[in-house]
Amino acid sequence: MEPEKKLCDQGKGSQPACAPLAVPFVPMQQSAEPAYSAGKALVRGTLFPGLDLPFMGMVNNTELADTPLGELMALDFVIKELQLYLDTHADDTEAFDTLQQYIKLFETGRAAYVRKYGPITICDTVLSKTYDWINDPWPWDYTKHKEG
Amino acid sequence: MFVYEKKLQYPVRIKNPNPALAKFIISQYGGPHGELGASLRYLSQRYSMPYPELKGLLTDIGTEELGHLEMVATIVHQLTRKMSMDEIKSAGFSEYFVDHTASVYPQAASGTPWSAATIAVTGDVIGDLTENLAAEQKARVTYDNILRMSDDPDVNDVIKFLREREIVHFQRFGEGLRLATERLNQKNVYYMNPAFDK
Repeated sequence: MEPEKKLCDQGKGSQPACAPLAVPFVPMQQSAEPAYSAGKALVRGTLFPGLDLPFMGMVNNTELADTPLGELMALDFVIKELQLYLDTHADDTEAFDTLQQYIKLFETGRAAYVRKYGPITICDTVLSKTYDWINDPWPWDYTKHKEG
Repeated sequence: MFVYEKKLQYPVRIKNPNPALAKFIISQYGGPHGELGASLRYLSQRYSMPYPELKGLLTDIGTEELGHLEMVATIVHQLTRKMSMDEIKSAGFSEYFVDHTASVYPQAASGTPWSAATIAVTGDVIGDLTENLAAEQKARVTYDNILRMSDDPDVNDVIKFLREREIVHFQRFGEGLRLATERLNQKNVYYMNPAFDK
């Protein structure tokens, strides 16, 4: 696909001047910028302000990235968002650079988290003194405290 | 293959059990517009996709949907913990309870078990991607309707996140369809099915 000039605001995208009939067209998102911070992206459910379209003004404002796990989820979420964006914008080298930076941040954060709170994948147990893979809490367990 | 990550995509922490609420949230686990159907739809469609960007997109969104399936199950699990028999009866939870106790079973709010009849895998590029656009909208509507009926802020926080993901996925499937269309015969994009005809 030819790169389109960035003519539209966030939340808008260009359409071809002439396009085949009888096919639905969704405008291409023109850029991975502007983007929310990782913490805000997780809270809002998208990295991209232009795609942030809440129902009846119901908006999340809770701070989620204020725990080690929340911080990790936020970085992981940005990686997911950029992954999906790049699947349809593979030529966007700036977005790919951003993805690689976030992966580095995530890997660092992940290693620190695992050392303190335990394994996220089975291979993390290489650092464990005992077989702690099965230890509570599992992700669906209700925990009163946000820590961990 | 898949490797399990022992964490959710987004935190779920429901302070107050509420089986009446669990009764309709479960529709996004095993109902007609739910996350089980979403994940199986995309992860099944990907095998016939002829273009790398579509193989990637269906794999990556399908995988995220498995994470959403886990989040919806977690909501149901936490809403149904520590229930007394009185609470079960007064919440109208008895019909579910008699077969499933306090576990998580893939069914619609109506009690209908999950069915592959609620998803489509056509093996046609435009057919499948258009199915997916509709599927994301239907899931978005169900989340809208859950937000209309639920007044639990802990639940709604998670539902708002899941609803927003439907909008992002709709955008990506739309872009995927656009990229596919550009590869097809511009005089007649329905000339053949690039997933089957060479």
